[in-house]
Amino acid sequence: MSINFSHLSGRKGMDENLFDALVKEGGFTGTAETEKLKELAEDYLLGEAPLLGAASFYDFLRKENEGKKIHVCNGTACMVAGTQDKLRNKISEHFDDKEVGHICCLGRCHENSAFQHNGQNYSGETDLSTLSENNDSEDTYNVANDGTAHLTGEFPGIDAFYALLKDILKRDRAELVEELTRSNVRGRGGAGFPAGIKWKTVKDAPGEVKFVVCNADEGDPGAYSDRYLMEKQPHLVLFGMMVCGYITGAETGVLYIRAEYPDSVSIMTQAVEDLQQAGYLGENICDSGFNFKFKVVKGAGSYVCGEETALLASLEGQRPEVRVRPPFPAVQGLFRKPTALNNVETFAVIHPVFNLGGDAYSEIGRGRSSGTKLVSLDSFFNKPGIYEVAMGTPVSDIFENYGGGFKSPVKAVHIGGPLGGIVPLEKIPDLTLDFESFDDHGFLLGHASVVSIPDDFPVLKYIEHLFEFTAAESCGKCFPCRLGSQRGMELLRKARTSDYKMDRELLDDLLETLEETSLCALGGGLPLPVKNVLQYFKDELNPYFQEA
Amino acid sequence: MSKFAYIDNQPYEINEGETILAFLKRHRGEKYVPTLCDAPQLEPFGSCRVCSVEAALSENGPTKTVASCHAPLQEGMYIYPDTKKIRKLRRNLIELVLTDHPLDCLTCEVSGNCELQDVAARVGMATVRYPAGANHLDTPKDTSHPYMTSDLSKCINCYRCVRACDEIQGEMVLSMHGRGFTNRIIKGMDTSFKDSPCVSCGACSQACPTSAISDRFKSKSIAATNNTRTICTYCGVGCNLDVSTANGEVLSIQASGDSEVNAAHTCLKGRYAFGFYKHPDRLTKPLIKEGDGFREATWDEAYDHIAAKLKDIVSTHGKDSVAGISSARCTNEENYLMQKFIRAVVGTNNIDCCARVCHSPTALGMQKAFGTGAATNSIKDLDVTDLILVCGANPTDAHPVTGVKIKQAAMKGIPMIVIDPRKTDLANLATWHLQLRPGTNVALLNMMAHYIVTEGKVDHDFINERCEGHEEFMAQIRELDIEEHEKITGVDRQLVREAAVAYASVDNAMEFHGLGVTEHSQGSKTVMLLSNLAMLTGNIGRPGVGINPLRGQNNVQGAADMGAQPHQGAGYLDVTMPEHQEHYRTHYGVDVPKEIGLKIPQMFDAAIDGSLKALWIMGEDIVQTDPNTHHVTEAMESLDFLVVQELFMSETAKLADVILPGASFLEKEGTFTNGERRIQRVNRAVDPLEGTKADGQIVVDIMNRMGFEQKGYSADVILQEIAQVVPFFAGVTWEGLGEFGLQWPVNPDGTDTQIMHKKEFRRGKGMFHYFDWVETTELTENQEEYPYILTTGRVLEHYNCGTMTRRTGNAEIVDRDILVVNPLDAKAKGLKTGDPVTLRSARGEATLEAAVTEDVKPGVVYTTFHFPEIMVNYITGNVHDEETMCPEYKVVAVDFDKAKATANA
Repeated sequence: MSINFSHLSGRKGMDENLFDALVKEGGFTGTAETEKLKELAEDYLLGEAPLLGAASFYDFLRKENEGKKIHVCNGTACMVAGTQDKLRNKISEHFDDKEVGHICCLGRCHENSAFQHNGQNYSGETDLSTLSENNDSEDTYNVANDGTAHLTGEFPGIDAFYALLKDILKRDRAELVEELTRSNVRGRGGAGFPAGIKWKTVKDAPGEVKFVVCNADEGDPGAYSDRYLMEKQPHLVLFGMMVCGYITGAETGVLYIRAEYPDSVSIMTQAVEDLQQAGYLGENICDSGFNFKFKVVKGAGSYVCGEETALLASLEGQRPEVRVRPPFPAVQGLFRKPTALNNVETFAVIHPVFNLGGDAYSEIGRGRSSGTKLVSLDSFFNKPGIYEVAMGTPVSDIFENYGGGFKSPVKAVHIGGPLGGIVPLEKIPDLTLDFESFDDHGFLLGHASVVSIPDDFPVLKYIEHLFEFTAAESCGKCFPCRLGSQRGMELLRKARTSDYKMDRELLDDLLETLEETSLCALGGGLPLPVKNVLQYFKDELNPYFQEA
Repeated sequence: MSKFAYIDNQPYEINEGETILAFLKRHRGEKYVPTLCDAPQLEPFGSCRVCSVEAALSENGPTKTVASCHAPLQEGMYIYPDTKKIRKLRRNLIELVLTDHPLDCLTCEVSGNCELQDVAARVGMATVRYPAGANHLDTPKDTSHPYMTSDLSKCINCYRCVRACDEIQGEMVLSMHGRGFTNRIIKGMDTSFKDSPCVSCGACSQACPTSAISDRFKSKSIAATNNTRTICTYCGVGCNLDVSTANGEVLSIQASGDSEVNAAHTCLKGRYAFGFYKHPDRLTKPLIKEGDGFREATWDEAYDHIAAKLKDIVSTHGKDSVAGISSARCTNEENYLMQKFIRAVVGTNNIDCCARVCHSPTALGMQKAFGTGAATNSIKDLDVTDLILVCGANPTDAHPVTGVKIKQAAMKGIPMIVIDPRKTDLANLATWHLQLRPGTNVALLNMMAHYIVTEGKVDHDFINERCEGHEEFMAQIRELDIEEHEKITGVDRQLVREAAVAYASVDNAMEFHGLGVTEHSQGSKTVMLLSNLAMLTGNIGRPGVGINPLRGQNNVQGAADMGAQPHQGAGYLDVTMPEHQEHYRTHYGVDVPKEIGLKIPQMFDAAIDGSLKALWIMGEDIVQTDPNTHHVTEAMESLDFLVVQELFMSETAKLADVILPGASFLEKEGTFTNGERRIQRVNRAVDPLEGTKADGQIVVDIMNRMGFEQKGYSADVILQEIAQVVPFFAGVTWEGLGEFGLQWPVNPDGTDTQIMHKKEFRRGKGMFHYFDWVETTELTENQEEYPYILTTGRVLEHYNCGTMTRRTGNAEIVDRDILVVNPLDAKAKGLKTGDPVTLRSARGEATLEAAVTEDVKPGVVYTTFHFPEIMVNYITGNVHDEETMCPEYKVVAVDFDKAKATANA
């Protein structure tokens, strides 16, 4: 957004990070005090308005969050599971209504009944009366692979694991990036951009200061594979970031972890400390001349921060609004410095890539989709959990053999987050788990999360929820998303709750406008699942439209 | 080889790196693609999406919809900017906008000049199909501020105001607040314009495509019948203004969009502080002193009286018993006439102007070093410089449009050195703030030169080829006692070393300086030392370098150029040289005086000792603005005859024998020359207020009345005469100046000069000078009794003595002068912010309000001099720059204590 803001915030950079300060001052209980914001503005040579503007953006920093003690998950998986009304009733026995806020997806999609209290997440059966003493908030889910674990194996200990780093630090950076390119690894965050090309761009970008940023803002309701990696495989992530730093010439790695994942924040922080203790961080690592340090930053509640430019703006302390590209983050990213920004899982595959070698890694998977992919299955499966499968595995195989089939009747699955496609069950046999298969069939692999839509859940209500989600999370910068998500939600709600009949042409115009003109994938992606539903659940929706 | 892309399958040439929108605008016209969030002075933003077009990689190939404002154009791209699909998308977007916008166009202040209205009409909006939903239509208006207004129910969330505040003014007073549909614009901490830190520049108002942000003057309405482009009357930046008028009255002012000087930007003085021109206090009749008061007179009566009186004084006491003070606020033509009147009609060189009290040391110092006393470069060079050095200047207050350009560069990371005793806006942003003790510029600049030499950073090729005196200079500067100088300046030597090395190490370093350099006992010397730094490092003669004085008044450059100084006539020709006397004699048709005349401070002394009998002052309030008011008042009272041309009954006018009502810049034509030597056309927007006359006309009238034949006042006619007299105006004509003006020297063929001293200096070789620092006598004589140092300056909202700005809404924003005191000193004196303080010097005392901040170091206090109630110049002293007699406003020995009564009571 503001170039001036980026540079001024960049004067203090990550060491005395402005966003960190905003979050600390807000303390997850509302916006920081006016005086404090003014002080920060003065310290950072910025205006006070943009700091208040930034704070007002986040769920946890906005004034409305003041006084909230318990936050109930309103994510998609918990909604379709139908657990949250019951949970709210239970909560109201212990908390005043004013103390109850909401939070969007804690990644407890396999257990539901999810909420956050006092910075800790709970799901499944929780005894609310013992909440203050109850520190055992851990959840359980299945983890499996096809026999060869790349992302889901046992951690062998720091020295054994980082032996590979020592080898890498002896190698030529150009040769490493070449090997990464040969591995065909594509970004796991959803867009599928080749990691080798991105890292090469950062490597070749002029500039002495560069950054590696891990997008750990896994906001897609239904997805919890990044959470799994951070909490169970933290060194896979750190390793990947360090290799990225070595290749690109960056000396600082930033993990931007969503506040909805408190355990991820503490576990990653601990892993960084462990690594420091073991002597793998700081100056001249393993006598290679390579310097690297990490900074773990906790988010403050905003889905759009998962969009790369919004995430960078957030890290700078700006309002996390999507910025135009070019310039791309690889050339002008954090504080306008070249930045390699990737998803958690993308960094996690770097160890297997260099462990196996780029060529061998490219053999795993199918076609242009190489390697393995984590899939998260929700609570409608008999065996919900995180499964590592080779790209190209039939989706039906994953659902049946890993997930153990559905517990109760389901009519469609929403794969790849809120902006992914809604796949009617009859289309499942056509799909294999890779970028191309999903594209070819008019769906989207995304982050490969699966949310099931039960038979008795009205699809009208489901797409209204998607509009509502987009309206709530839209940064509001571009006109179509800010206005269109709101108007779409209003149209659908009016049709659902009154005898108002929608004009199909108007809805189609709205979807086309969103899809064609939105600045980022939030507004631009919303039409896909809606159009899927309009196509595959025509009969269920017909009564809500004016007759043609 | 030209490269091409296609619009509707027709090939068009492309420019490297341009956006699709820029490409389409170039070939199909400015308005071809409808836009809402795009604005020429702002970075591409991509929020409205109305500029979307279809783009393909092959003829009629598969297209992608892209927002043309930020999509880069590629060679061979096929653009389809107006397809059925695009027209529909634009219509759908505008339909969405109109679901949250009042449909009250007929009663809206910008009806007919609203970008949303235009775009809606262009895309053919028929109906809004969405049912009524949530909206922002009830957002209340904000009318809290003297100038700025908002009606955010009309806001379309294009962020142009937020971006203008940031990208143009660098202030960040505005922001979006909230998320998604709840987004709304806030000011400061979500407060009103009045309570926010808004600096009232109006950039947001001018940028806003609707009436969501506007101003009291409704500057975007189409009520005006005339629009006149002219030049601002305030500082030396020379902003181009568009003045809207109807029925002979000024309705509003906006910044000219295409101006090279200020491209759609200006400050609150230029944009909003014009109300003085029709203030009831305006003088509208000549006044002649009678008893203790004045009586109204006709022009003829006044002229007869003056002519008779002047002739009488000249015949009794000689020509040199008369003097004139010209005005840096008036046009070049008026200044030319004024000096011509004094020299050719009265016959004396006793002519001076307010440059005496501001940049006379710059003119002299740079003439000695380079051969010309004017800026070497242009402000636009800020775009290409690698380092900025600002010495003794606070341009974000005093030269706002240039100030924010410097600020923008610094915000984006261009390294900056600020040499200033105060923590100014720029000092806060600086990489190196050398916060020296007032009065030690010479010591500090010598330290910098010392480090440049001893650290081996000298550009030897440059100095050997183009300079002289460098060997002696370097030998002396090597011997500088750094430890002693560190003590003198109070600035850490390592900080000075780092700054000096940085200045000398970049490819292009650019210097700016202000009155903090010149208004000192060693002012001219300081200018020569600044010149030394530039020459030592080869920072002269190309883009992004040089020495650039920030000229204080709109035409102070021009007043000196036109000869309103006692030692040089029009065009800086030495009045003592016979060939120059001959030059003037040829053009004026009479013999001209041959002796150097009196400088302003000498005029005061001469009046008191009785040798000066008559003084003619055109538009300057010397009683309020010159130092040591008691002394100035005594001088005025000692005169036999004082004539003052003025807009208002100033402190000086009160002492006059005849007061002639002049006209303001809005009421006259002529040219002003800005700080980068740019001669620009001033056009009359309204007729002079009834009873008043353009100052040039008054001078012409009196010249004729005294028997000298002078053609009537008309800008183009006088300019023709000037072009013959002033060598560097040779190619200047009224028509030739065009919309953007020309930078002198203007060659006979009309070509102008952006950068001076390219191949060689005007004086041949650049001259090095060495000077030792000397403590001012103001301190050596007074500091025992008055141990604090007072330094003075300006605030953004007011202009000099405030004659004009105090008669506008600016006085509602800032209504008093304050004394800035360091917390340690405040504690010692038992003071807190808001307390009344009595400030004393060897000359007198004044009472004003304290503001306790760390903007000054302990031992230093700071104030402004805008309000006559305070008369800070009762305090200031008699010390002057040794060579030019520019007064030392910046160093005054004072003491202060908490006062009993409030300052303005």
